[in-house]
Amino acid sequence: MAVMPATRIYEGTRIPSPCPTILEIDPDEHNLDDILRINFGPNHPSTHGVLRLVVDLDGEHIAGIRAVIGYLHTGFEKTMESKTYWKGITYPERIDYVAFQANELVFVMAIEKLLGLETPEKATWMRMCLSELNRIHSHLVWLGTSALELGAISMFWYAFRERDLVLDLFEMVTGVRMHGRYFQVGGLAEDVPEGFYAQAREFARYMPRAVDDYEGILDRNQIWLERTKGIGPLSAEDALALGQSGPMLRASGVDWDLRKNMPYLAYDEVDFDVPVYPNGDVYDRYKVHMDEMRASARIVGQCVTRLEEMRGAPWITDDRKVVLPPREELHTSMESLIHHFKIVTEGYLVPEGEVYVAVESARGECGCYLVSDGGPKPWRVKFRAPSFAALQATATCVRGTAVADLIAVAGSLDPVMGDADR
Amino acid sequence: MLPLVSDRPAAKAGLRSERILWPDRGPGVFEQELESVEDALMTTTVDKALAWAQSGSMWPDTFGLACCAIEMMSIVSSRYDIARFGMERFSSSPRQADLLIISGRMTHKMAAPARQVYDQMLEPKWVIAMGACASSGGMFNNYTVLQGVDKIFPVDIHVPGCPPRPEALMEGIVRLHEKIRAGVPPAYEIRGVAE
Amino acid sequence: MTPTGVPGVVETLEAHGETTLVVDPARMIEACTHLRDTEGFNVLVDIAGVDYLGWGDKEVAGYIGTPDGRDLNAAGSQGYRRVPEPKPKRFAVTYHLLRVSDSPERVRVKAWLDDGQEIDSVIGVWPAADWNEREAYDLFGIVFRGHPNLARILMPDEWEGHPLRKDYPLGGEPVRFSGEV
Repeated sequence: MAVMPATRIYEGTRIPSPCPTILEIDPDEHNLDDILRINFGPNHPSTHGVLRLVVDLDGEHIAGIRAVIGYLHTGFEKTMESKTYWKGITYPERIDYVAFQANELVFVMAIEKLLGLETPEKATWMRMCLSELNRIHSHLVWLGTSALELGAISMFWYAFRERDLVLDLFEMVTGVRMHGRYFQVGGLAEDVPEGFYAQAREFARYMPRAVDDYEGILDRNQIWLERTKGIGPLSAEDALALGQSGPMLRASGVDWDLRKNMPYLAYDEVDFDVPVYPNGDVYDRYKVHMDEMRASARIVGQCVTRLEEMRGAPWITDDRKVVLPPREELHTSMESLIHHFKIVTEGYLVPEGEVYVAVESARGECGCYLVSDGGPKPWRVKFRAPSFAALQATATCVRGTAVADLIAVAGSLDPVMGDADR
Repeated sequence: MLPLVSDRPAAKAGLRSERILWPDRGPGVFEQELESVEDALMTTTVDKALAWAQSGSMWPDTFGLACCAIEMMSIVSSRYDIARFGMERFSSSPRQADLLIISGRMTHKMAAPARQVYDQMLEPKWVIAMGACASSGGMFNNYTVLQGVDKIFPVDIHVPGCPPRPEALMEGIVRLHEKIRAGVPPAYEIRGVAE
Repeated sequence: MTPTGVPGVVETLEAHGETTLVVDPARMIEACTHLRDTEGFNVLVDIAGVDYLGWGDKEVAGYIGTPDGRDLNAAGSQGYRRVPEPKPKRFAVTYHLLRVSDSPERVRVKAWLDDGQEIDSVIGVWPAADWNEREAYDLFGIVFRGHPNLARILMPDEWEGHPLRKDYPLGGEPVRFSGEV
C-alpha cells in the first residue's frame, strides 16, 4: 500500500473552502432567489440520532449545507473527571452506543498503559472476540437503518434478526444486552461462561451465510445500485486531509486498518482480510461493511478456538493494587481486606502522565487521550470520536448531489451522535 | 381468604399484569391506585370503546436519541415484534403520532426541539420516558443533561433500565394500554411538569 | 523514530513509547507544515485542550510498586505523598498526528497557552482541524486565530462560559445522600 503524503491538499480537492465543513452557495451556479433553506432537524426520521443538517436547496440539488451537532452533548469528559477510574468505566460505553466495546476497550487500555499493567492472555483474546462481535453488531445496525432509509425496508428485519443473536452472546457473557462493562483494568470482570464457546462458534459459522443473504437482496438490486453507485464520492487525499479513518478511508482506496498496520491486543496472531475498495462512493462503503462482517466472523471463530484451550486460565491480572482480590481471600487475608477497602473507597492510583491509545472501532479510529495527575480520578479524558471526523466530510461528499442522495451519504458516513457529541 | 382479583373493577377493565402472575394475590399498589382514580371516573361504554381503539393502534413518534433508541428499534424487529400491538408504524411526523417514546438522554440544547415536537402532537397524546436518562437524568448529573424529561412535559410511564430490555419497554407499553383502557386520562390532564 | 528538525520545538518528551513535541505557539503553523510535508504526518487525528488549573493543589500519593515489584529508587514509589510537577501555563492544546503510510507513526504536538492567549489555527494545514478547534474553543475558550468559523459547536449558541474549564462547576442537581464520588 502506498499513499503519498498529501502535500498539496487543496489542489484538485473537492473540499469546500474557506471552511471545509460548510458548503456555501456558489452564486455563479445558483440563482439566489431560487434557494430554499430547509432544516433536516434534530428529530430525524432516519435513525442516526440527533443530527441537524441545514440545507440550501435549488430545486432538488443541494447548493449549500451545514451540519449542526451538539444535541446529544452529555458532558462525558467532565463527568468522568469526577469519578474514580473504576466507576468511570461505565461511561465510555455510552459514548458510541452502537459499537460500545470499542470505547470501553480504549479507555481500559489507556489506563493499563499508564499503569504499565500486563493483562493475561485469556483476557486479550476474549477482548478481541467481543470487539469483533461488537463490530458485527455495529455493522448490522448500520445496514438495517441505512437500508431502511433508502427504501429497502425489509433489510431492517433481516439485520436485526442477526443482531439479536449477537446480543444473546453478549448477554451470556456480560449479563446485559448492551453496555456490558465487561472490560476491567487488568483483564475481564468475570470468567468466560462455559456455554459461550459453542454458541459463539455456531454464530461464527452461521454469520457469513447471513451476509450472503443480505448481499443477495441488495447487490444486484437495480434501485440499490442506482441509489448508491457514484453517490457521495470522497477521494483518498480528501479523506486523509479530513481526518477520516475506518470504513470511510478503506472505501476511498486507502489500505489502512489499525488492526493490521498498528496491531494491538492479539490481532497480529489472527488471520483476516481487510477490504479496500477504490471509488469512495456509498456503494463501496456498503461493500466494505459487508466484507468486514465476514472478516469479523472469521476472527471470532479463531478466537473461540484459542479461548477453548485456555479454559481455567486467569482472566484478570493479580496486581492487588489495582484489581479487587477474589472474595474468598477476604475471609482469610488481612492484606486483601485492606486492598479491597482502598480500591473501593479511594480508587486505585494511576501514575502521573499522559497517554493516547487508539483502537479500530467499527466506525474508524477510536482513541482515548488520558491525562493523569497521579490520583484516583482522571485529570482529563478526551475521546477521539470517529463519527465527529466522519461528519466533517458531509459537505465534501454531498457536493453536486440531490436531496435524495443526502440521505444515502449521511447514512454511509455511519455517524452515531453520541460519539460525535460526547 | 383474599378476594379474587377478578371481582374488582380494574380487572374488569382489562388490567392483567399482576393478575396473571399471582391469581390469588391481593390487589397490588398499581391496582389500588388505579381503583382510586377509577371510582372518580365512571367510564361509560363509549369511553371504553374509544379507549380500546386508541390503545389498539397507537403510533409512536420516532424520537430516538441515544442508546435506548437502539433498543427501541429492536422492539420493531421480529423477535420482540411490536406489530402485534399495532404499533409498528413509527411516524416521523408528530402530527400523526400518538405516543412519544423519549429514548435516551435529553440535553438542554435538545429540550426546545423536543418540546416543539410534543406541542405539535395532537391530543390525546401519551409520553413514555424510556430509560434512566429520560426518567431522571440517569448516570449523568451535569451541566448539560436534563434531569428527567418530566421537567419539560408530563410523562405517563417511566421505564427504568440502562438501556431497558425490549421486554421491559413492552411491559411499559402494555401498562400504558391498560391504563388507557381502564380510563386513566393522559398525563397532561392529571399532572403538570416536575419541579 | 522521533521527528527531528521541526521548527519551533521547545522540548521533546518521550514516555510510554510516545513522543511529545512541545512547540512554541507562535510557530505552530510552521511546525505543523514541516511535520506534514517533510515528515509525512498526513492525518490530524485529534485536538484536545487541557486545563491545568489546580494542578498540584492536592498532594497525590506516589504509585506504590509495579507488577514486577517495587522500584525503590523511583520518585514517589515509596507511596509518600508528593505534589506533581507544576505545569508552565494554564492551558495546553494537544494535537495528535498520524502518518498513514507503510511506516506508520504517531506523534503528539503540544503548545502551552495562558488564559486569553490565542494560537494560530492549523486549518490551512489539515482541514480536519475545523471542528476540532471549534470544540476546543467551545469547551475551553481557546481562540484559534484565522479559523473561518469559530463558533460554538457542542453547547447551545447562547451558552455562557466554557464548560470543561476547571473553574466551571459540574452542574446538575444535588442528590440526597450521595457524597462526592
